Amino acid sequence: MSVISFIIGIVLVVSAIIAIEAKKLITSVVMLSLASLLAVVSFVLLKAPDVAITEASVGAGLTTAIFLLTLKRLGRRESE
Amino acid sequence: MTAFIVFLSLIILGALLALLRILLGPTLSDRVAALDIMNVIITGVIVLFALIEENALFLDIALVYAALSFLETVVVARYLEGKK
Repeated sequence: MSVISFIIGIVLVVSAIIAIEAKKLITSVVMLSLASLLAVVSFVLLKAPDVAITEASVGAGLTTAIFLLTLKRLGRRESE
Repeated sequence: MTAFIVFLSLIILGALLALLRILLGPTLSDRVAALDIMNVIITGVIVLFALIEENALFLDIALVYAALSFLETVVVARYLEGKK
């Protein structure tokens, strides 16, 4: 199990760095969603189910939906 | 125990291929489709982990995560629909 935790940690850090450094904002949102997903798996592997439920509901559902609705409302001002 | 090793290796293979497509994907549609595949795979991983640990509390996580990842995919699809 510790090898899987190690791989998940590395990919989590890489996706967080890509989420910061990406040129387009929508790519950042997708990468943030991937980081949240891997955080859920990490919490499950650490045997913290309540934290994982909160992270899944807030990180996967609420944050991505609010960010994408804001990007849609912003519209044309985002540079392609 | 051999069955668990076979399950885990197949799941890790699928997750790595989906992850490669998310990290490399040229267009946004590739990334979103691969992210949806990754959501399904992760839901399966959590259910398998509940089976290994014999703890029913992990099934709630899989339930909540499956519902909310569907919501996420629908919102991204609405964004892509309004783009073009």
